[in-house]
Amino acid sequence: MRIFRFVFTILLTGAFIWLLQTPQKFGEASIPPLGTFFNPFSGFWQNAESAKGFSQKDARIPGLQGPVEVVYDDLLVPHIFAQNLQDAAMVQGYVTAANRLWQMDITTRKAAGRLSEVLGERTLALDRLSRRRGMVFAAENALLGWQKSPETMHLLTAYTAGVNAYVDQLSAGDYPIEFKLLNYEPERWSELKTALVIESMAENLSSGESDLAATNTLALLGKPAFDMLFPEWETRQHPVVPDTGQWKNIMTGLPVVVPTGGTTSGVSEKNNLSGKALLTATNAAYSFNKNRNVPSSGNNLPDAEIDPYLMGSNNWAVSGARTQSHHAILANDPHLNLTLPSIWYQVQVHTPQQNCYGVSLPGVPGIIIGFNEDIAWGVTNVSHDVSDWYEVKWANPERTKYDLDGEIREVQKRIETIGIKGREALIDTVRYTVWGPVTHDFEPNHPLFNCALRWVSHDIPDERQLGLFLILNGGKNYDDYKKAIVGFDCPAQNFVFATRTGDIAIQVQGRFPIRNPEQGRFVQDGSRWSNSWRGYIPEDQVPSMKNPAYGFVFSANQHSTPPTYPYYYLGNFDHYRGRHIYDRLAALQNATVDSMKTMQLDNFSQRAHDALPAMLALLNRPITDADGQKLLQDLTAWNYRYDAEQTAPPLFEVWYDSCYLRTWDELDVQRKQGKDVMLPETWRFNELLATDTSNIFFDHPNTPYRETARDIVNESFRLMQQYFQQNPQKRQAWAPFRGFAIKHLAQLDAFSRLDVKVGGHKTAANALSRSNGPSWRMIVELGDPVRGYGVFPGGQSGNPGSRYYDNMVNTWAKGEYYDLLLLRSPDEASDRIQGHQTFTAR
Amino acid sequence: MKNASIALFFILIVGNISHLFGPWWAVVLVAALAIVLFPMGPARALAVGTTAGSMLWWLNALWINSANTGMMASKIGQVFQGVSALQLLAATAFLGGLLGGLGALIGAYGRGLLAPQDPRRRRRRR
Repeated sequence: MRIFRFVFTILLTGAFIWLLQTPQKFGEASIPPLGTFFNPFSGFWQNAESAKGFSQKDARIPGLQGPVEVVYDDLLVPHIFAQNLQDAAMVQGYVTAANRLWQMDITTRKAAGRLSEVLGERTLALDRLSRRRGMVFAAENALLGWQKSPETMHLLTAYTAGVNAYVDQLSAGDYPIEFKLLNYEPERWSELKTALVIESMAENLSSGESDLAATNTLALLGKPAFDMLFPEWETRQHPVVPDTGQWKNIMTGLPVVVPTGGTTSGVSEKNNLSGKALLTATNAAYSFNKNRNVPSSGNNLPDAEIDPYLMGSNNWAVSGARTQSHHAILANDPHLNLTLPSIWYQVQVHTPQQNCYGVSLPGVPGIIIGFNEDIAWGVTNVSHDVSDWYEVKWANPERTKYDLDGEIREVQKRIETIGIKGREALIDTVRYTVWGPVTHDFEPNHPLFNCALRWVSHDIPDERQLGLFLILNGGKNYDDYKKAIVGFDCPAQNFVFATRTGDIAIQVQGRFPIRNPEQGRFVQDGSRWSNSWRGYIPEDQVPSMKNPAYGFVFSANQHSTPPTYPYYYLGNFDHYRGRHIYDRLAALQNATVDSMKTMQLDNFSQRAHDALPAMLALLNRPITDADGQKLLQDLTAWNYRYDAEQTAPPLFEVWYDSCYLRTWDELDVQRKQGKDVMLPETWRFNELLATDTSNIFFDHPNTPYRETARDIVNESFRLMQQYFQQNPQKRQAWAPFRGFAIKHLAQLDAFSRLDVKVGGHKTAANALSRSNGPSWRMIVELGDPVRGYGVFPGGQSGNPGSRYYDNMVNTWAKGEYYDLLLLRSPDEASDRIQGHQTFTAR
Repeated sequence: MKNASIALFFILIVGNISHLFGPWWAVVLVAALAIVLFPMGPARALAVGTTAGSMLWWLNALWINSANTGMMASKIGQVFQGVSALQLLAATAFLGGLLGGLGALIGAYGRGLLAPQDPRRRRRRR
């Protein structure tokens, strides 16, 4: 009996322990193991940091050559003082991991298609796509490029060792909270993972593809109508680098580029549309919709996502001639999908050779955007299309051989083993052609089923350097800047630059394919090598500019050059922010850091400024009902600013979107049926609205009457009025109407910020949408000493239980900045320093 | 009664230390050991183990939570669909108590196996 109850109690206890350390499923939701999770010694309580702040302990990193001192300021920014760059990289790896380990893990898992290993089957489709797009292939090739530069590899290895020194000393209680919630363990870092972080950014920024949509739209409309609706050049735009005659000696040997421009309409009559099929297709689509009671386009207004947000950014540098202090000022605000933990991690790296402050990407050594005691630089995305689709001509039914110029070639198979939590791994075979991976060939109904992806990131670079870290972070002058950014291939960036000696410069830096006119705009025939890229634009011929006479350089994801640039390129370019920024820069006199702030925070929308007067001009008056008069009054009085508290922007948004979608009803109806088609860019729409009001596309094909822009504008105004009558709760200020969230990377609301009220618009310099926006605002005045100001919407810590997790969000939302603390020595006195941490080797 | 107090403090102190090195359920072992060293009947052992285990977990969580000003608890509460910080603390205490209680019971029964006398009788003999 005694033995029985003793054994029984042991078994019962064992059963409880087992139960409490096993994750439980409640329907769809998965709950972490309760025992380990609630245990205050290693569970979630351990992630609740003291609100008093600083608690960094001295640490050891095997392999450090000398002691490294880290000073933490009041924002928990580490200021690393090392004897050499390698030691600095090691400690940067350590402190970044200490704050952002889970973010680093999940970012690389996503890029590598390894989410399902820890999250199970629900992320399998995502993983499969990452693998099939060749993300790991790209990262492996990038690493091969780095391996050709011993200096780069030393830094990468040091950074990796630093991260791993942190990972190796972790006990279960130290794991970031997300590991505990999702019930998996951190892994060691590797140089390949650094490459994956970069490829993941490259994919984010360079993979906007419209080849398929353009191909479908061209087939639907015919060439004349397509060219009329999709001109490649907005004539009011100011390109990043203007033509000053610098390209006249470049002989490309390519056909002359004659880009199609806007303004003149090539097609104005229904009969001129070579795509009669369009109208037939449209009518068919309408009857399809009618049969299914699908509301016709234009009725479901505010959720319509027109002009999907393009990852964008602003940067500029103003020469001393335009500033009050006579020192150059540089500003940069990269716009990205805002997340928590924050995209960026601020750091200062001080060695005998450099003293640099700025933001780094967790997982990548060095500083991406920042300044030192002599120079400052910033980046925006170049938006060139550097990925194309080629339709493969298969030579056998098994699709293992394909035809290239009559020669039969064998595909190369890459076996991808995708681990899946809770079930056996999926073994996927990806076919690689000379173009690249045949991404979608596991989905027989996918329109790109037979297509291979050609992406610049799949190339093995000759020699790839961490040029930013090795040269630019410690750079002193324009020559260093030029040397540092050579070979920065993908994602291509507009590097803006300024020095304390007064130079300003900008360069459109990247690896850009040499194309025939229109090449890459549509899905291409992959059976002819003549369709391949002709190489890459030589490094000395990429658009670049130094010290222009008018005293400023800038970029806002607009076209890199005017059409006179000898190389054809295409991409997703912004058409609004750049124009307004140019206007403001051109008017600048005696600029100060504060005037730069007002420019970054500017909510003025060039798009509204272009479109609203045209819309108001077409609106029939008088409007007789009081409600309509009130709406009109609000709109007429509007200053085109998307400030948080303004009430006119929601009216304009609904009215404009309705006009837009009702104009492109022929195309939108195709889209609603799941066909990938393009709608014209909004700048082209604005132009037609202002200059070609009887364009055939304003006509609704299913009415006997021929509508014009006037009809569209008036019926849309009525719809807008109706919408606000039916949804009175929506008649509110811009910030609550649009909504805004900074979401946690795992989409956990508890770890997100859903309460932030901000204005801004994707067409304004302060380019905020529901979840995208300025991920880092930085302004640097290159005086003596250099002074930096910056803020990002998050915090230094990735731990939701830390006060440094989102402590900068409110400052950012209010449009305020922090003084960035560039220390000269670890002993420098400052009331902002809250603690020190010393690193030594064993 | 004296043994009960000693066992309780033993579990609190040794439990705190052992959790730094041992498994997450270390309190089971500590509670068992406490009762083996400071014997008592199963009912009292259960009471002492449960009290000590829940205090051990609860006090630690309470300490951390107040230093953190409840920031993390409120977020974790949201993850668990709106559970309050107090409820999280209660759940923590409950789990600690469950483990402590079971551990103490193992100790009491195990001790009974090693020394077959009734501890109450033995105490009277002293």
